[in-house]
Amino acid sequence: MTTRTRRTRSLSRTVAGLALALLVTATGSSCASGDHTGQDDGPRLPVRPGTLRVLASSELSDMEPVLRAARTPTGVDVRLTYTGTLDAVEQIASGTAEKAYDAVWLSSNDYLRLRPDTARKITGETPVMASPVALGVRPAAVARLGWDPAKVTWSQLHRAVADGKLTYGMTDPMRSNSGLSALVSVASGLSGAQSALTERDVAEATPRLKEFFTGQKLTSGSSGWLATAFARRTDVDALVNYESVLLSSFRSGELTVIRPTDGVVTADYPLTLLTSARPEAKEAAGRLTTYLRTPEVQGRITEATLRRPVVPGVAPAPALARDQRRELPFPGSRKVADELLDAYDNTLRRPSRTVYVLDTSGSMGGERLERLKKALAELTRDFRDREEVTLMPFGSAVKQDEVRTHTVDPASPQAALDAIKGDAQRLSAFGGTAIYSSVQEAYRFLGRSRGDVFTSIVLMTDGENTDGDPATAFETFHGSLSAEQKRTPVFPILFGDSDRGELDHIAGLTGGKLFDADQGSLDGAFEEIRGYQ
Amino acid sequence: MGFREHAAHVRRILGIVLAVLLLGGVAAVLVTGGDKDTGTATKTVRGVIGSEKAEFFTDPQVVKALAAKGFTVGTETSGSWDMEELPLDGYDFAFPSSKAPADGLRAKAAQKTKATTAPLRPFYSPLVVVAHSAAARVLAGNGLATLGPRGTSGTLKMGAYLAAARADRTWQQLKGSAGHAELSGTLFITSTDPVASNSGALYLAAASYVADGGRVAGDRAAVTRTAPLLRKLVQVQGAQQSGSDAPFRDFISGVGNPLVLVYESQVAAQLLAGRPMGDLVVLYPDTTVSSDHTLVPLTENGRALGELLSTDPELRKLAVRHGFRPQGAASEFTAATQSHTAYLNQTLTGVRQAPVPTGKVLHEMALRARDQGDTA
Repeated sequence: MTTRTRRTRSLSRTVAGLALALLVTATGSSCASGDHTGQDDGPRLPVRPGTLRVLASSELSDMEPVLRAARTPTGVDVRLTYTGTLDAVEQIASGTAEKAYDAVWLSSNDYLRLRPDTARKITGETPVMASPVALGVRPAAVARLGWDPAKVTWSQLHRAVADGKLTYGMTDPMRSNSGLSALVSVASGLSGAQSALTERDVAEATPRLKEFFTGQKLTSGSSGWLATAFARRTDVDALVNYESVLLSSFRSGELTVIRPTDGVVTADYPLTLLTSARPEAKEAAGRLTTYLRTPEVQGRITEATLRRPVVPGVAPAPALARDQRRELPFPGSRKVADELLDAYDNTLRRPSRTVYVLDTSGSMGGERLERLKKALAELTRDFRDREEVTLMPFGSAVKQDEVRTHTVDPASPQAALDAIKGDAQRLSAFGGTAIYSSVQEAYRFLGRSRGDVFTSIVLMTDGENTDGDPATAFETFHGSLSAEQKRTPVFPILFGDSDRGELDHIAGLTGGKLFDADQGSLDGAFEEIRGYQ
Repeated sequence: MGFREHAAHVRRILGIVLAVLLLGGVAAVLVTGGDKDTGTATKTVRGVIGSEKAEFFTDPQVVKALAAKGFTVGTETSGSWDMEELPLDGYDFAFPSSKAPADGLRAKAAQKTKATTAPLRPFYSPLVVVAHSAAARVLAGNGLATLGPRGTSGTLKMGAYLAAARADRTWQQLKGSAGHAELSGTLFITSTDPVASNSGALYLAAASYVADGGRVAGDRAAVTRTAPLLRKLVQVQGAQQSGSDAPFRDFISGVGNPLVLVYESQVAAQLLAGRPMGDLVVLYPDTTVSSDHTLVPLTENGRALGELLSTDPELRKLAVRHGFRPQGAASEFTAATQSHTAYLNQTLTGVRQAPVPTGKVLHEMALRARDQGDTA
């Protein structure tokens, strides 16, 4: 119960951070100009006649050429603002979405429908195209396992993972619909449920699900980063994602797509109007969806995006297999869905091992340090059961006597969380800024990475490197790490006067990702990084 | 446990929704108000409609035919039952897919001293089940359906189907299903959410009528008698959609459940548009319910639109093109669908119409099936 409370809070906090910090606005028209990125009070797109402001799943960026072409025949100028599916759901529930958008366009409304607080906020839903969540497996692994890709079941996938013969990457089901769909699929497949999942099915499948998730070597808050991270790794055999993403991100046949024969969960991309939208926007959306569902445009969509058409008589692109699959029902009650998510986070998935390398140099004194303490206190709600958390403050060097490690014990999670909060409150600002030496210290602390955990380093600094090793020494150090240690990514956070170039370089070198707390909040950045840990 | 901590949050959100809806309503009145009652000039009317009628109202020829009669019609879609939750201010008409939600909307409108005129029913459409051919053949091979000579249309035996549902029959248990990966798991028909949407609720109406020995549910006791079966029909589906368009689209894209409840009009519209139907088979349940698309006028212009849709020959013809059966003479539909009898049962031969319970009873049925009502 404690864990549930923590997780639920974390979901609603996710939105605040994202809405403020990390929205990127794109546009389907050439006339887009001006700055639409998030400001302190969130994005405010100008209301113009014929403009449809849409909060969209990030993988819909491949629809931009189609939307640009739609502009002349429909008179509708579509502006897409990207975010993750579950974050969008929270924005709808909290009322943030209706301030800035007319419609939402997610890969699926399955999760949205489980939220009674969103039912009255959305009106017409029009599916535009479809893509099942599938596994992309390296052909060498398919050959090694002796599989006919058209005839693989979830049980076979589970067996291969349990025998140590298959590893994969998958997005965080708490944040991304492809991860959530995969979780529902595999839970259905391994429980042998013949209809919509129940709590009993989930409980029955738990031991096998646990084995299945030992094979998850990569996690991510977004499918884009997952594909990039996968491309860096040679030790991961497969990727879980939409069929369309698997085929279009790896166009030279690097992956063989497997849709398990015992069933899939399919995204149907419904363009969904917000009840609050202006009448004019609602009519614009009607014109747009009518256009998008003409046979000609459906043909173009399937060719360009490798998603499946939703009108009769339009053939799917040749790359898409034609044999049918059972559609696994999505849980009909929120309780089942949430218990599944809760189980994933706190029981099923591999635990996380995380080092927070925190700049507490002199320049952090005063308001900045208070913000850090507050952000860390908030963050303690998001740590998962079994997670090992280390706070590593640094100034001119790592402040060794302040380094503390706590592990969240499922039997009494609060003890570790309170201890972390206490440690955070005792931080004090003094000394210079030894970024590179401190990150090296974090790698040394983690040592030889244990294979059964997700290991990562978060680097928060408010300034440039002034003490210890320079960048070149860090590069040499990183080059000398074992292949296994090199798999630990660093997620730097841009904050205060920190140097974007320096931090970007660290993220690039270590296979991490840069997060920006200047555009939003430190809480928001910490929260978003959770999806990658 | 669970989401107790959300309760206060939800209440606060509800407050915000209400405020926003009210503001939206005012804005809509400001936008549309200026165009009203200007005699021969164009009348701009706004309405909320069931999703299955969206393509009718955006069809350029329909737009043209309406314009010729002086109407510009703006629409947005909503689940038929969800319409009651919308603020009716700013709309000239509501156009749910059957009588029961229309009655609720009339009552609500009357409170606001809006509509005083009777609702209009320009066209109707029976509920059918679309199946992929492999699924239809397996049903026929196991006595759950009969197929016509070409195998593209047939009859679903509701009694046998409900017995199978009661017994949690799976596809794997039916002979002939081997070798079809998509035919596994519990045998069920996908419908829309009966709490939100008309076709899902009418599905329960038909099922309860059959299950209760041909009696239409008239009270709580009747609802209680069939509640366990109806609950099963709904729970097995998991999450349900709130409009009839989406499940049909999923079916067409070949990724959904092999059996989906839709309106005949959805299939007929595709046939009349000349679209190839692939391996689609239309099964008419031997006991079904027709959806009487019912226009509830909220303003004088809304009423005028309803009358126009009912009587104008051109608009009736266009309604047929979208697969609807206009009220009154059947000749228009029969003539237009002459070349599609392989799929359509023009005269509904062998199809019994189940009477529909009152809105209140139907709603109770739906709530209990979805575990949202009093399950005592």
